[in-house]
Amino acid sequence: MQREEPKSEPGSQAKSGVKAKGAKELAHALVYLGPSLILFLIFVFYPMVKTVYLSFYLTNPGGDPVVWKGIQAYLTLLGSSSFRNSVVVSFLFVLYTVPGTILASLLLAVLANVKLRGIGVYRTLYSLTIGVSVASAATIWMLLFSPADNGMLNYFLHLVGLPKIGWLVTTRSALPSLALMTVWMGVGFNFIVLMGGLQSLPEEIFESARIDGAGRWKQFRHITVPLLSPTLFFLLVVDTIAAFQSFGQFNILTLGGPDHSTNVIVYSIYREAFFNSRFGPASAQAVVLFVIILILTLLQFGVVERKVHYQ
Amino acid sequence: MKKGKVLKIVTVLLVLGLLLVTGCGTGGTSSSQAAGGPITVTFWHSMGGVPAKTLTTLINKFNATHKDIQVKLVYQGSYDDAFNKLKASPDQGPDLFQVYDIGTRYMIDAGLVTPMQNFIDKSKFDLSQFEPHVLHYYEVGGKLYSMPFNTSVPVLYYNKTMFKAAGLDPNKPPLTFADVEKDAKALTTKSGGKTVYGFSQAIYGWFFEQYLARDGALYVNNGNGRDKAATESLVNSPAGVDILTWWKKMIDDGAATNLGRQTSATQAAFGAQQIAMTIDSCGILPNLTTAAAGKFKIGIAPLPRGNNASDSGPIIGGGSLWILKNKPKAEQEAAWKVVQWLTQPAQMAAWTVGTGYLPINKAAVNEQTYKDFLAKYPSYQVALDQLHNTPENRVTEGGRIGVFTSARATVENAIEQAVLNKATPQAALDAAAKKITSAIQEYNQTMGVK
Repeated sequence: MQREEPKSEPGSQAKSGVKAKGAKELAHALVYLGPSLILFLIFVFYPMVKTVYLSFYLTNPGGDPVVWKGIQAYLTLLGSSSFRNSVVVSFLFVLYTVPGTILASLLLAVLANVKLRGIGVYRTLYSLTIGVSVASAATIWMLLFSPADNGMLNYFLHLVGLPKIGWLVTTRSALPSLALMTVWMGVGFNFIVLMGGLQSLPEEIFESARIDGAGRWKQFRHITVPLLSPTLFFLLVVDTIAAFQSFGQFNILTLGGPDHSTNVIVYSIYREAFFNSRFGPASAQAVVLFVIILILTLLQFGVVERKVHYQ
Repeated sequence: MKKGKVLKIVTVLLVLGLLLVTGCGTGGTSSSQAAGGPITVTFWHSMGGVPAKTLTTLINKFNATHKDIQVKLVYQGSYDDAFNKLKASPDQGPDLFQVYDIGTRYMIDAGLVTPMQNFIDKSKFDLSQFEPHVLHYYEVGGKLYSMPFNTSVPVLYYNKTMFKAAGLDPNKPPLTFADVEKDAKALTTKSGGKTVYGFSQAIYGWFFEQYLARDGALYVNNGNGRDKAATESLVNSPAGVDILTWWKKMIDDGAATNLGRQTSATQAAFGAQQIAMTIDSCGILPNLTTAAAGKFKIGIAPLPRGNNASDSGPIIGGGSLWILKNKPKAEQEAAWKVVQWLTQPAQMAAWTVGTGYLPINKAAVNEQTYKDFLAKYPSYQVALDQLHNTPENRVTEGGRIGVFTSARATVENAIEQAVLNKATPQAALDAAAKKITSAIQEYNQTMGVK
């Protein structure tokens, strides 16, 4: 398909002509954007507006707003220790998972980037977890995490003479355990993206660096990482958002417990809305989560992106 | 490519997109019936594993013998999942719906159902053959809104072989909290860095409710919410505190272990002989027996009672069948026929044999299939006896509130706080009671319940 020239030729048309052309272009753009716009309107923007609307009400169990509460739900959230706990747990979860996932994937990607016979096998293996759904991963890890002696992880600990860990049943170990499983799951996607990034790096730069006497570490530190920084930045943003929105592993493995130690905001929203039928307060939490992610993403773009080296 | 052609393609795509979007809204219901054909009854259930197979076999038999009615079984995940799906879009619901024990209040308050009593009265259905305790549990104001179906009681499972090895009498299971504690200590052994624990029970709110009833204490005020709508939680009563104190002490003393919230974890540990006693529904006896085959002998005892408690009984658990009122009359009538058929002695016996759920139709015990089952698992009689020995009162009828799901989760959190030393049993239950009370009051406010 041939693309139309986006800009009109300079000076060849009168002002009104430019305007007409602009409107025409807008119409044209709308036609192209139409399908996604409609989908976004129905599945994203409408629910968003409705969420804000619901957050001002107390609902009946059917979800119909019945009692106007104004900003009461937000005030309650601000003073609620359990919501504060959820915010802390969510941030901890991001902290435990995002750097870990990116570092582990980077390590694997650099390893798998060497040119060896059969390296394709390793590349496939490292990226396998992208094909595993949260539900199946959680079910597999539920068996691994089993706190009794029949749990696989505890069995390995026993083999090397270490004491058993409660994994999901103690408040101290539950969140790190979930993070471990989430890192494992995230490695697949991150690996593929980083691998793509690594493969697109120009070989000549490394060559001249080698001629200049740069060692492997120096090459990695001063060439690979800066050149890869757009990819790393993309992963940082995407992984952070994904970590904040994680739900499946919490729903299947811990139900937010023990004692709220894994009650992240998304899970708390789900409990509030669909178990406790308190759609109003749940919507308020959703709005707060939206604002948190928005601010974080803006911060990432404002602060971290300055260090990103675009070629 | 020409511009006009592009526009045409895009327009087609747009229209297709609309179809996709609006198509989602109308699919899924089964209320349209082909004229003259058999009536389809959509039946949502939450039975997994072995019970699901048994239910499918039963329904296949129904479909084969009823040309005018065809039942479409739809597994909707856990009770909670199915319940939440119905809550989210009642209009897309089924004709026949299996709801868990604690969903009764909500189902009635939400006004989604045709009371089962209407059908019972109209067709003069004989209820005298049904277990009275089970009927009372589901009755509201003397009326049955749903038909009891899968019914279970909690029991104590113990490893007879380990009892013998520890010098305990395998025919004298513990009956009180103190007995459990004493036996658990005797059963706990350490060897080669591995510990076999005397006892473990999942952190499951249902068990707490059961212990409370066993000890003669109410869950909520106003006669467990049965004299009139409950307004206050009573989980922090002395009986409640005793339960948690006992639970926590055994773990602190090393005679019991905490395996988290999943009953599947305690079941696996019991089957692998890593724990000697556990609490679970009578419904899992066939599963546990399979796990124990060739390794050890299983004993069953009634749910242990508190040290100071008089001999009360547990509440029943499980689920009941509901007919939804927003479906055509013919479908509701057809659903009623399915309900009648399922609760007949032959089907009830097959149901018990295939699942371990109690036979709620008393005549079912005379069926040969049931007799064979009892010969194979003689200890199953303990569960049925426990049902029969339970006195009839507000306590054993169980609490009835519209926010039971969240109340149960709140109690589970309190148990975790106590067991994990985050709070004393009293403090944990006080906080839980406060939270449940506020949830009940908010529910009453939004539902206009007075």
